Amino acid sequence: MEAVNSGPRFHHDAFVYESDDDYLGRSVRFLREGLEAGEGAMVANARAGLARMREALGADADRVTFVDTTYTYTHPARALSTYHRAFRDRLRDVPSVRAVADMRTGPRNDAWDEWTGYEALCNVSYAHLPVWVVCTYNANGLPDPILDSVWRTHSKRLGHQHEPNDRFEDPSALLRELTREPEPLTDLRSFSAGPDLESFRERLARELAAEQVPETKALDMLVAGTEIAANAMRHGGGIEEVRAGRAEGRFVCEVIDRGAGFDDPMAGYLVPREGVGAGLWVARQLAWRLEWFDSPAGFTVRTWL
Amino acid sequence: MRSSTLSPKQERELIATAEGGDEAACRELVELFLPAIRGVARQFGTGGQVEWTELVQEGVAGLLFAARRYDPRRRTPFWAYASFWVRKAMQELVADLTRPAALSDHGVRGLASVKAARRKHVQAKGAEPTTAELAEATGLARPQVDRLLAIDRAPRSFEEPLGGGEGTAGTFGDTVVDPGAESAYDRVLDAMEIEAVRSCAETLDARERAVLSAHYGLSRTPLTLNEIGADLGVTAERIRQIETVALEKLREAVLGPPAAGA
Repeated sequence: MEAVNSGPRFHHDAFVYESDDDYLGRSVRFLREGLEAGEGAMVANARAGLARMREALGADADRVTFVDTTYTYTHPARALSTYHRAFRDRLRDVPSVRAVADMRTGPRNDAWDEWTGYEALCNVSYAHLPVWVVCTYNANGLPDPILDSVWRTHSKRLGHQHEPNDRFEDPSALLRELTREPEPLTDLRSFSAGPDLESFRERLARELAAEQVPETKALDMLVAGTEIAANAMRHGGGIEEVRAGRAEGRFVCEVIDRGAGFDDPMAGYLVPREGVGAGLWVARQLAWRLEWFDSPAGFTVRTWL
Repeated sequence: MRSSTLSPKQERELIATAEGGDEAACRELVELFLPAIRGVARQFGTGGQVEWTELVQEGVAGLLFAARRYDPRRRTPFWAYASFWVRKAMQELVADLTRPAALSDHGVRGLASVKAARRKHVQAKGAEPTTAELAEATGLARPQVDRLLAIDRAPRSFEEPLGGGEGTAGTFGDTVVDPGAESAYDRVLDAMEIEAVRSCAETLDARERAVLSAHYGLSRTPLTLNEIGADLGVTAERIRQIETVALEKLREAVLGPPAAGA
């Protein structure tokens, strides 16, 4: 096979397969080439898919890391973290990794835009890692809109070779297009943040107690809220107001600051590293959703617990 | 299909609480949707290869996964969304258990070599090989080849709709007294990635947990740093230091160790 992807950086290809034999044959060939070159190899799939790959790899299976992703795809931020942990662990022993990751597609009424956004994010979140991922999609029964989205988020396609994909879109622009506009929440209670982070947490904790949020989740909110409040204090000219309460059955906290805010749809989705802060990453990992927007009261970061 | 007796608002709150890992909420959610899960399981005829209890428990896993992935802002009724994942979980269990995944590594390798020999033979001669030809090509004994081929014929497709009589589920209530048994929940919840986040709190020692709990009123009345210090016989400043370390530990637990060479 031609050396299309050389060099220690992240590569993100798509492979839409029509049959099990197609999936197994090309995936195994891709992984074996990596093994022969001294790279690490990884397979991510649900249990039955892992069993088929293990069988197809034969003796080579002993040199491959298998990651059960049956329950991984709950939220993009958490899926990014799960894969990052797997890559990070494998890269302790090998200079680079090849991975075949099967995407779990949901029903037609699923939030598919969000998972298209996730695929776009992979290109940037892991950009610093020497990892070559082939994302596999089972074409059988895959709705056309989902199939189309695959080509918007992968720079190469695996056919007979790894071919450039001219439908690939800029990840940041695509994510911006796919991100939902936050809706106003009118039933939240307003309170002052107080003079420092400790006061902010004490007041936020009172709201969590008032809404009977369980202890473990309350702790998550306190840690996530601390990150957002610290950002507002350091970079946003201070906290103007805090709002909290319930919406859609969830505890919600809005931190409104006095600054110009930021407008990066990828904020908090990039694996922390030199030049990439960790605060919003931590908040995203602990929250259900994170949103931000300009409101008449000021730049607002909303955390859904 | 309406599978819940809760109002939409109550249902959303229950799902949100279950999504957060609250065990009581998970249990309530499962109990509400268990009849619907059983209804899906009735559509499966597994030829006796999969236990009914396993099938329902896998459906429970699918339901809890759906609760974590579900976005109520899209206004899709929960069961209309979750039933897909319940069915998929059951299909994957059937596919998993009826494939030769239970073979030893030696058996798996044997089957792979048989399949490779078959492909090679078909490509070269355009016809299916006999058992004797496969045995000769792989070096395996003929009975071994027969057994591996027999196992390999069992698999079912992920998406294959499996028909089954309504009566197959009729005795479920009799055979599974507590389908939401502790082991099922533990297995499902342990497998879910959010456990990595939940376990963050477990990185704290007892004193750190006590300080955070007391100061922020987690499951109790909040106390000032002075009051906590007085209880523990240390200064308020010492309590503040303990709290700072505890919060940093929680943050580090989310971040994890840095990647090698990254």
